[in-house]
Amino acid sequence: MSRKVWLYGLLCLLCVPFVFPTWWMVTSSMKPISEIFSESLLPSEWTFSTYETVFRMQPFGQQYWNSLYIAVIVTAGTMAVAALAGYAFARIRFPGQNVLFVVVLTGLLIPSEVTIVPLFQMFQSFGMTNTHWPLIIVPIFGAPCVLAIFIMRQFFIALPPELEEAARMDGLGRAGIFYRIALPLSRPALGAVAIFTFLHSWNLYLEPIVYLSTPDMFTLPQALTQFVDIYGGPMWNVQLAAATMTAVPILVVFVLAQRQFIEGLAHTGVKG
Amino acid sequence: MTFWTYRRRDNLVGYLFVAPALLGSLAFVLFPLAMVAWYSLNEWNVLGGTFEFIGGENYARLLADEKLRDSLVATAWFAAGLVVLNLSLALLLAVLLNQKLRGTTLFRTLFFSPVLVSLVAWTLVWQLMLQPEGSVNGLLGVFGIDGPNWLRGETTAMVSVVVVQVIKNVGLNMVLFLAALQGVPAPLYEAAKIDGAGPWTRFRRITIPLISPTILLTSIITIVGSLQVFAQIAVLTQGGPGTSTTVLIYYLYQQAFQFHHFGYGATISVLLFVIVAALTLLQWRMRRKWVLHES
Amino acid sequence: MSRLLALICTALLALTACSGSAATGPKSLRMTVWTANEAHLKLLNEIAAEYRAAHPDVTEIKFDTIPADGYTTTLTTQIAGGNAPDLAWILEESAPDFVSSGALAPIRAKVEKADELVPSAIKLWEKDGELYAYPFSTSPFGLFVNTDLVKELPKTWEQAVAASAGKNLVLPDFKYQNWAVLSAIWRGWGAQAWSEDGRQCGFASPEMKDAMTFVHKAIFTDKAIPGPGTTVDFFAGNAAMAVSQISRAGALKEAKFGWTLLPLPQGPKGDYAVIGQAGVGVLKRSKNAEAAADFLGFFTNAANSAKLAQFFPPVRQSLLNAGTLAKSNPLLKPEQLQSVVIDGISKGVVKPSHQGQEELNQTIRAALDPLWKPDADIGQVLDGVCTKIKPLLERQ
Repeated sequence: MSRKVWLYGLLCLLCVPFVFPTWWMVTSSMKPISEIFSESLLPSEWTFSTYETVFRMQPFGQQYWNSLYIAVIVTAGTMAVAALAGYAFARIRFPGQNVLFVVVLTGLLIPSEVTIVPLFQMFQSFGMTNTHWPLIIVPIFGAPCVLAIFIMRQFFIALPPELEEAARMDGLGRAGIFYRIALPLSRPALGAVAIFTFLHSWNLYLEPIVYLSTPDMFTLPQALTQFVDIYGGPMWNVQLAAATMTAVPILVVFVLAQRQFIEGLAHTGVKG
Repeated sequence: MTFWTYRRRDNLVGYLFVAPALLGSLAFVLFPLAMVAWYSLNEWNVLGGTFEFIGGENYARLLADEKLRDSLVATAWFAAGLVVLNLSLALLLAVLLNQKLRGTTLFRTLFFSPVLVSLVAWTLVWQLMLQPEGSVNGLLGVFGIDGPNWLRGETTAMVSVVVVQVIKNVGLNMVLFLAALQGVPAPLYEAAKIDGAGPWTRFRRITIPLISPTILLTSIITIVGSLQVFAQIAVLTQGGPGTSTTVLIYYLYQQAFQFHHFGYGATISVLLFVIVAALTLLQWRMRRKWVLHES
Repeated sequence: MSRLLALICTALLALTACSGSAATGPKSLRMTVWTANEAHLKLLNEIAAEYRAAHPDVTEIKFDTIPADGYTTTLTTQIAGGNAPDLAWILEESAPDFVSSGALAPIRAKVEKADELVPSAIKLWEKDGELYAYPFSTSPFGLFVNTDLVKELPKTWEQAVAASAGKNLVLPDFKYQNWAVLSAIWRGWGAQAWSEDGRQCGFASPEMKDAMTFVHKAIFTDKAIPGPGTTVDFFAGNAAMAVSQISRAGALKEAKFGWTLLPLPQGPKGDYAVIGQAGVGVLKRSKNAEAAADFLGFFTNAANSAKLAQFFPPVRQSLLNAGTLAKSNPLLKPEQLQSVVIDGISKGVVKPSHQGQEELNQTIRAALDPLWKPDADIGQVLDGVCTKIKPLLERQ
């Protein structure tokens, strides 16, 4: 019994630095501006006008939609590309495989600050600046996808070979084995990939700022920087209201989906 | 169907499957990287619009750059601190949450939640909390500790950016570890118990080896990620005090985008790439030694 | 395949810095700005609409907001990527880089009545007698005082610090990083960051040492200026005084405390003024440089400057009288406008700026860090600043 008390105590203590900033963000978004930098845990008077201000100052609904649809397409696209490549690198033997894997892996090693200028030149020459294409294409096929490929490869490598043998005996080809046998089994790993990818796209900051220039094309992280007063000073409470609106729905979805997500992962793990 | 036609078809399918990823890598990773390597051989004044081939001059400058040396030291401390703290905390949390206990789902969500919060809000809150009279020192005061001015001391600033970054992202690794822990068969522990192994021995001899593939994955992700942490440093310390938190990626940003030395910035990019690649290769080579399933 | 070719060609073009050739036919213009404020953008768009009505060949004038944080970075990336805007707002600290690099097109001929611009205020934007950007916002520093907390209005820095001891005298933009803001204080001691020609370091001078000793004492001994890492908001009523640009007065519209605005207090060297600026220039590489410069002329003519004056203090002598300014600045009294704004702009010294400003900024910021401790050796730190920046000053 006392062990349990200890465990709970430890967990509660560890929780504080994880929870407090979010708590502060949510409550401060409802504080009057003069109270933001005070230490109070709750607003002295609750105000929701900041939330109206968010929508009045920016096409926030449109921006929400931009972020959402980009993240969904990127997530779906990445899952497809990563599953195919991950499977091939893990289960199929073909000449040049290792070299190609290293080539692909390079993407994992490059921070986006490094390649942003050449990439910008590229999309500029395609006439794709101030469109959402760079934010969709690069994550699906470029560097951000590599982590997903890596996770999928680690998953497929641990898959028992017997399953595939049996399917092959039944006359299924490679594509059939992948589609009918391996892919359905990889659901949990795909779930992990989906969460990683969605969050990555949702929080992308540098790229939208460089590529996008009109407010109705903006994505959420970029929109957060737009809530400023006449003198360019940030309107903290409005920014925090917007930040709250970008974080809370995702948090809710995570709470609802986490059982499948984590328990699914557990059956296979990202086992290596 | 003979074995050889199957083989050949297999090859074709293999190439087809990796084609999207491969072409993407060529277009959006290797091509830009080659461009960056080309920039590094030039003096590029973006504002003036001059672009001039200077051969290895930028690389010579790299070798003589004292600030770069400071920056490499800062990077090493930052990366080492981040990786050690992140992985051990992630593992600790995962082990705690893997106990048979009511309410672990709630705690799991709470520990994961910072991952979902926007970086802007996150760093802003911490900036306020780390003020001399902020919540962190308020809390320490309760225990009679007179806390320092966190972001203004060279060592404490480094500790602060590491901790803030770890708390933001440790949830991801925690979830991966948790998944791995739940995959360790319970009978193994029972057997070890019967053999008289204590909890620590069981952890070291059973848990660690069995989750080693996940440790490999998380440590690669974390090391690579630690060398790419930029925004937090830009907001919290701007590389200071002095140059104590000017890590390589921040130095690169300063040279290329703030000082407009694009060619030299590209040279630092190449160096950064070489370092990350070398570290990753090293880990990948060593995996056969300690990771299950890989030998 | 043709796309790939196009890509390679464009990349090469970008590398060899294709200079823009004049385009004919319908033109569209793009100006990068750092404001996202609706009132600002509304005014900008109104001026643009008026211009387009008279110039049907200009089909569109677009104002692209780039976040103020990292503005120059993003602008530079766009220029490097071959997508330079036609016009751009330029921060005062990047002015020397932009003006001297040849990135901007000359505009003097397009500016209406260029002779009436206050000479001291356009110095930063000139090279060899030509004007390369128009300083659309010139904002003097002043001393905001919370009259609920301070009864006796200070005339000198000594008095200001004494009156705000323990009650906070804040420098909102300083944050122990933007050291150039401190020039609003040290000019009162006759100190400067570097000599007029930009070659001699001024940090080790006796004037600077006296001024910095005063600042250090105000922070650590008198506890007037909040210490490093502490955020205190004057505009929320938490501080006795603030040294800030007068354009911030608008933030006091709904203030729940009494306040007034004074000129900067006197230092040992008497009266002085310091201003901060922002300019707008035409990028030479723009395909429509000619049309852009023409629009800039319209944008900054006397009539539009008067409209812009409600947000951005003007540099036209014809507008610099209390009567005209009062119309657009209802929050300030005529004598405040005279003493702070008009006198400030006419005799003010612009915050320090230099070619390679960002590198200097970061180097000085890092070298000054040891100063912000109670037991700092001020003389030694300041000598150290000079050692560090000497090579940078001599490079130009």
